[in-house]
Amino acid sequence: MNARSSLAWTVLGAASAIVLAALWAAPLLWALSTALRPELETVSSDFHWLPQTWTLDAFAKTLAAGNLLRWLLNSALVALGVTVVTMAISLMAAYAFSQLRFRGRSLVFGLAMLAFLLPFEALLVPLFRTMHQLGLVNSYAGIVLPQVVSPVVIYVFKGFFDAIPADFREAATMDGAGPLRVLWSVYLPLSGNIVWAMAIVTFIAAWNNFLWPFIIVTSTDMMTIPLGLTQTYDAFGVRYAQLMAAALLGALPVALAYVLFQKKVTQGFLAASGLKG
Amino acid sequence: MASVRLRGIQKSYGDNLVIKGVDLDVEDGQFVVFVGPSGCGKSTLLRMIAGLEDISAGTLELGGRPCNGVDPARRGIAMVFQSYALYPHMTVADNMGFALKLAKVAKAEIAERVGRAAAILQIDHLLDRKPKALSGGQRQRVAIGRAIVRKPEVFLFDEPLSNLDAALRAQTRVELAQLHRELGSTMIYVTHDQVEAMTLGQKIVVFNGGRIEQAGTPLDLYERPANRFVAGFLGSPRMNFIPAVLAGEEGATARLRLPDGSLAEVAADVAQARVGAALTLGIRPEHLRLQFDPAAAAGPGGIPATVALVEYLGDVTLVHVRVDGVDATLAAKVQAGGAAPASGSRVRLGFDPARAYLFDEAGLAFISRT
Repeated sequence: MNARSSLAWTVLGAASAIVLAALWAAPLLWALSTALRPELETVSSDFHWLPQTWTLDAFAKTLAAGNLLRWLLNSALVALGVTVVTMAISLMAAYAFSQLRFRGRSLVFGLAMLAFLLPFEALLVPLFRTMHQLGLVNSYAGIVLPQVVSPVVIYVFKGFFDAIPADFREAATMDGAGPLRVLWSVYLPLSGNIVWAMAIVTFIAAWNNFLWPFIIVTSTDMMTIPLGLTQTYDAFGVRYAQLMAAALLGALPVALAYVLFQKKVTQGFLAASGLKG
Repeated sequence: MASVRLRGIQKSYGDNLVIKGVDLDVEDGQFVVFVGPSGCGKSTLLRMIAGLEDISAGTLELGGRPCNGVDPARRGIAMVFQSYALYPHMTVADNMGFALKLAKVAKAEIAERVGRAAAILQIDHLLDRKPKALSGGQRQRVAIGRAIVRKPEVFLFDEPLSNLDAALRAQTRVELAQLHRELGSTMIYVTHDQVEAMTLGQKIVVFNGGRIEQAGTPLDLYERPANRFVAGFLGSPRMNFIPAVLAGEEGATARLRLPDGSLAEVAADVAQARVGAALTLGIRPEHLRLQFDPAAAAGPGGIPATVALVEYLGDVTLVHVRVDGVDATLAAKVQAGGAAPASGSRVRLGFDPARAYLFDEAGLAFISRT
């Protein structure tokens, strides 16, 4: 490949990246632009990319409404709960499937992986009935529990554990460690980045989950952020500026979390893919 | 310290029997080496003693105590792995003290025991480092240190020197022998390297196909191999084997007809064999004499051969020769400094009948009468 052709490819690549980035950023920027307008301007028939009148009124009203902080707290508790329990269950299951020898291991692993094939929507009714019978409707446990079994996370951890030499487990066993201790003291530290990556992905998915909280929560006080956003309307219809302000405020913590842990997430996925970071 | 007693030990994976009934006694404080080719079952047996593999049949006793179903950590055993298996995220001190920490030993005592083991192995300056900052030899010492700290009754070594270069291997071999003298512990050491086996072991156990072929002192096995496998496995280059037919017996001597038609004599008790039986003559390279001046090479006596290759190794010269009717080349050791024949030249091979070996059709050795 000559220098001119190489330059052309570089320019084409950069241009494509800019177009894709713009397409990805446009809705976000539009949400920001809407949140910075007066409510009346959001329903105006005149289209403008930028607000004609710049105001933080929508943010002020959203925060003053009182519910947003409550929904943020609910989202944080739910996402944190889902992440911690999912990690604990997935790590133990993956370790058992990868390192322990027991009758029916392949069958149980196969059944766990079969859950890949079941869309969550198909489980909504039986899950709701179960939660209702357990008295967990409108409770944190009711929102968290159905989200904590993740075949994908188990599968990723198992693949990672399979690649760790069995000598470490055997050495730790001879040192007097039981399976849980081996997992905690040896396998977990050796899998640090992939655990962080899976935890962040799980946290974001739980934070953004709309469908299950929508089914299991009826009380405004127990709503999470995505659910709360549906409440930003009044007698005149949807208040678009406040809706966008609430959406941006709701997305802020999870965006911050991602930015803070971005390096660990990237390293984790690179490690899982077998590439060097 | 403790003795190790194996009786009828078997290991099977499904229908595949890999350890086929092993009986063995390792005395208190003895250094025993398991040796054999890859896949012979020596490492599997070591792992069964360690408790890392279940025992399918038979009994294992450590210090007179039945240990078949006992947890690995409760057997009073420490193991040094081939890969060292040092935890990469822990410092050397944490690696060495991990077992004690799990046993809830007081921090001060852990530090004291780790320090003492580190001093013995001269790795005290490495205690704060992580394994990735250590050389292969240093990692190997840390792995041994981790075992020492636990004060085990039995040390198990699974090919611990195989990842080291030749010079470091030789040095560590000497240090291991010294360590055994200092600690006086029972040690079982697995290797496929016969030099390690011969130099380290007070007792060598030769394995083949999941069975013990022979167990004894290094010299005993070298000089009085029970069968052709042991004779061929110990010694470098390996023993030369020449097919032969029993032509007769005279007193304490067996007379053999060799493939080229020549006759040879070996001091062996062949009373059980019939004349005409197909036997194998074994001669170690250091016991094979070469006559290669033109007059002797052309004359009668000895086995006529052609030099295929000459290897100058410094301390000795190896001469590989071809003999009519023998598939493999035979090796002879000539002391360095002495004359050696040229490749392609004709020579005659001679040997001392008292230093040759004779094996029957099943590969079992006939007992020498001398």
